[in-house]
Amino acid sequence: MAASMKCAWARCLSTILLNSTKHRCQISQPLYASCSNISGDSGEGGTDQTGQEAGLADDTKKHRRDPGKAFTDVRVQKILLRLTGLDLDKVYEYRAAKGAGVAKVALMSDQQLKKVYESASYKALRKLQMPPVLGAREPIDEVLSEDPELEGLNTSKLVFIDISQRVPLKKRTIVVREPNGTLRKASWEERDVTLQKYFPQSGRKIGLPRMFQQDNLECMLDDGKHEYILNRACSQFEIDDPEYIRVTQRTYEHIHSNGKFEDLRSTRHFGPMIFYFTYYKKIDKLLVAFLEEESLEDSVDLVKLYHIVHPSCKSAEKVASMPDPTPLEIIGAFAEMDATQKSLVQQAIQTYEKECDSTDSTQLRR
Amino acid sequence: MALAIRFALFGCTNRPFFHIVVMEKRRAQRSGKIKEMIGSYDPMPNQDNQKLVAVDFQKLQQWLGFGAVPTKHVAELLGLGGFYPIHPMSYIKAKRKRKLMEKQPADMQAKEETQETAAIQVNEDTQPDSTEDASQ
Repeated sequence: MAASMKCAWARCLSTILLNSTKHRCQISQPLYASCSNISGDSGEGGTDQTGQEAGLADDTKKHRRDPGKAFTDVRVQKILLRLTGLDLDKVYEYRAAKGAGVAKVALMSDQQLKKVYESASYKALRKLQMPPVLGAREPIDEVLSEDPELEGLNTSKLVFIDISQRVPLKKRTIVVREPNGTLRKASWEERDVTLQKYFPQSGRKIGLPRMFQQDNLECMLDDGKHEYILNRACSQFEIDDPEYIRVTQRTYEHIHSNGKFEDLRSTRHFGPMIFYFTYYKKIDKLLVAFLEEESLEDSVDLVKLYHIVHPSCKSAEKVASMPDPTPLEIIGAFAEMDATQKSLVQQAIQTYEKECDSTDSTQLRR
Repeated sequence: MALAIRFALFGCTNRPFFHIVVMEKRRAQRSGKIKEMIGSYDPMPNQDNQKLVAVDFQKLQQWLGFGAVPTKHVAELLGLGGFYPIHPMSYIKAKRKRKLMEKQPADMQAKEETQETAAIQVNEDTQPDSTEDASQ
């Protein structure tokens, strides 16, 4: 996305959010919090919260298992939102689906058009809400009672579900009485299936859809249907389901090996994808792709994101020690110290600098 | 008025399905005089070998407070679910079934053995004697 368009969007976003009191309550709190920090200026990190975020500061085993803490950090959200961008044409692209209406054509004044444009941009924010990246859920392993004297009563399991009104799905009690007499809480898989039977959610199937089986998934990926797979995974699984994590991570890896990062730009999956690469330290190819597009802001944002998620890395310390680093200096520090494919990234930086010098029109922004 | 929490048998031939309902104990279940339906019980196991029981426990407690009394079988089911202590009949039925299973394998084994011997006999009778053929 061109730098000028990016800036314009950021300004538009901030205007919408700060001025539109009518819509203020509708947007989800974390998303709003991340947006309200954007004030249209360039990539300096805003108000830095000093070391309060546990889970970001240390790269321990516990942190590795739970990317959720890092993902929900306000600074991370802010950068991911900026990187995602807003391409109204792509967000409001026609999709052949149930309930897809016919496009309306209307004659409007400039003022009316501006209002419609603003409200469309605001609604687009909802479409760009990122499904959180979390660690896999811990298995449920609780036995409520052991009654070996009931052995032989039933050859099948008895599954009890509480269908009381107005209980959130996650809190519904589901227990299983095994044929050997043990009464235990239902496992996550049993829960998902049973809840879908009694409280069906649209877009979900009972059991694993065949599309997500390994072979079929590969076929879909080779066909280039990344967005479709991710959208369907979102509707089928819970976000901390190991299956969801498997499907999404496989999709991101496929995109990585084919370099098709732009497919997901301006969709709600771009942020989680960037975060995945950053968390697992695979941002080299991504950085090179951004530099090849000549979007310096994106590249710097990516490196800054890396520094937030891995604050103990060498380049973060170096950049923190620099008094007033330029974007290229920040990227250069990363390339030198933390890039796994050092030569590739440094070459991309050199190419970018040459392009800048040759065109003579781009200003190195601070 | 004997308000009961009981099963109401729906479904069709060879396919029972119970609704757990609040109604008078002696009324016909399909008379249409159900006060409230508070759950269901499917006695036929599904593909995952599960029998599904759904109960609106909030409503159940409300009706119990109002004076409704669960029938024997509903009380058994709720005992298995952990809402009530396990019904003594559950223990008794389990014990009876275990006894039957202990006897059954012995009976089954005896049956199988007799069948095997009968099959071998039949084979011996029908197979032509090789010495007889050769001589002819």
